[in-house]
Amino acid sequence: MNAAQVLNGVALGSLLMVLSSGLAMIYGLRGVANFAHGALYMSGAYIAYTVSDRFNFWLAILLVPLALAVIGVVLELVFFRPLQHRSHIELGLITFGLALMAERIVVLIWGERTLRVTPPEILQGTTTLLGVEYPTYRLSIIVIALALAAALVLWLRGSRVGLHIRAASQDIETAGIMGVNVDRVSLIVVSLGCALAGLAGTLAAPYIALDPGMGNAFLITVLIVVVVGGIGSIGGAMVAGMGLGVIQTVSTVWSPSFAVVVPYLALTIVLLWRPTGLAGKRVS
Amino acid sequence: MKRQVVAAAVALAMGSTLAACGSASENSGDGGEGGPIKVALIPPTSGALAQFGTDAVKGWETAVRLANEAGGVDGREIELIVKSTDADPATTLRVAKEAVTQDGAQFIGAVMTSPEHAALNAQLEGLGALSFNALGKDDALVGEQCSPYAFHVVQTSSMDINALASSLSELPGDKWAIQAVDYATGHGAAEKFKAAAEEAGKEIVLEQFAPLDTTDFGSYITKIKDSGADAVFAVEYGADGVAFVQQADQFNLDNQLETVLGFNMVSEPLFETLGDTIEGYFNNVGYDVDGDNTENQEFVDAYTEDHGAAPYYVPADNYLAAQTLFAGIEEAGSADPADVSEALGDLSFDSIVGAVTVRAADHQVLRDSYLGEVVKDGKALKFSIQSNATPDVTTPEPDSACSM
Repeated sequence: MNAAQVLNGVALGSLLMVLSSGLAMIYGLRGVANFAHGALYMSGAYIAYTVSDRFNFWLAILLVPLALAVIGVVLELVFFRPLQHRSHIELGLITFGLALMAERIVVLIWGERTLRVTPPEILQGTTTLLGVEYPTYRLSIIVIALALAAALVLWLRGSRVGLHIRAASQDIETAGIMGVNVDRVSLIVVSLGCALAGLAGTLAAPYIALDPGMGNAFLITVLIVVVVGGIGSIGGAMVAGMGLGVIQTVSTVWSPSFAVVVPYLALTIVLLWRPTGLAGKRVS
Repeated sequence: MKRQVVAAAVALAMGSTLAACGSASENSGDGGEGGPIKVALIPPTSGALAQFGTDAVKGWETAVRLANEAGGVDGREIELIVKSTDADPATTLRVAKEAVTQDGAQFIGAVMTSPEHAALNAQLEGLGALSFNALGKDDALVGEQCSPYAFHVVQTSSMDINALASSLSELPGDKWAIQAVDYATGHGAAEKFKAAAEEAGKEIVLEQFAPLDTTDFGSYITKIKDSGADAVFAVEYGADGVAFVQQADQFNLDNQLETVLGFNMVSEPLFETLGDTIEGYFNNVGYDVDGDNTENQEFVDAYTEDHGAAPYYVPADNYLAAQTLFAGIEEAGSADPADVSEALGDLSFDSIVGAVTVRAADHQVLRDSYLGEVVKDGKALKFSIQSNATPDVTTPEPDSACSM
């Protein structure tokens, strides 16, 4: 095992970390398994394609999360809030339907052929790190994801809104009784979760090939990450995302066929050993 | 009243069944002697293959336009009936039955995938219609799944890989890594390539298979770099192929390699997406747009005039399918599917890919295959043909499992 393979694992883990933290936030607060999260990530990647094609990639990193945050506001106001007293399965099915619609809309706008996004010139080529030549773009994903994770944890632990989010994620009704504006908190969480999906899509666009099925490919892995991390725990999802990325990459080096079952194996082991996930009830 | 309704329903059902049986056995519909010869096209119009489906129809449209302008085939006009499928074998079969029994089509084209062809071949004799396969490459279609009513116009996977294998000794690079999809075609191609490499005196330093729908090739590319390979044989399709090429570029893998040889990995529809990264890549090529014969020049001019762009292998192979059908009708002097099928056995004719022969034993069209290098043509990319392999080199002996 050389340093390049470890970095491969950390790069994949970084992407999973960004994607799963958004899903974990929404699940923690709304209790909804958002099956549209993969579609949001895919939509983010396609919007990033157009923005970076017409303008540049840096603008895409700014604009796409904002655009997805607006979609998050719509999701919260049109679906999650009015339907909050319906069963979680019904809401889950609605998000599943939304994901199917999003996929068709993407096909109608961008077509079905595979697309590719070129990283900005400064991030092209390789950089020598730990004695190995490694793609600069992948290193930048790692840096962005780790910085984002640190900022998110600091914000959740150090700010008043973060305190409210943690309180509402523990028990939304009690938090409401204690004076927390849970509607406002929920709006922030859902839009932030969607923005993180958009950011993950933007970061992934030059990393992998864009096709309308790309969201589905990641959704199952990300759902597993959230369960392994501890349902609703943002910190747990981050740790689990990074861990799974590294383990999956390492197992790919030894046996690609075995690597396919690694996420499911991890899920089974964690659920047997620690049914509440790695982080238990802790949110951040 | 209730009894009358039941009786009417039974009569209607029996009537429909009888009508369907009658159409299936006669299948002449409106296309009897003197009327137009009807060809049903059943391309996928949704899903990842929709673009190929559209382009397959374009190839047939140009062929039919030229044929009808020249007075028809055997004096009769050709009429296209364009249907659609989602590339699911069950859907395609249902649409094919509808085209034959209700629309009166006697010939079928533009069906896309090998599983669709396998399902269709099993039913062709019962339908009494001929199918011309210009897209499905599975060897079994001219093996155990062959049919006296099916014609395999496109090269099989074996023909493609044999064409590459025959050119291997000419390619730079002595230490080869094999990067293939973990699928039957990937393993089959890797086996054939290894045998050819051994014959050409090349060393295989790494052989690895990635599951279908792999998004991150980082660990595979790192292993190729670590293996010391100076050439790569890559069998990755669609989005997997794009991801592999893109990530290999990010890892600067090309700097270490003298040759990247793709098997069905890079093709004209992907040139714009893959960009200049693939300049210098080698790949098998089924059709040479610059083919120097009058048939091809006429086709390229007419297709460009009809559709605003030069053809690539999908419309070209479908045009060749139409040429095969028209040659069979002319030879038979009839549009009766059984007569056409018999006339096509061992028939040779001039086509857009030069002189071809329909092998009677399995209905494989014997044609050249090529090795192409991706080169710059102004701002765009194109294949420059490096070598061609004749069918006696590429085409395996007829499979004994195929009985006509």
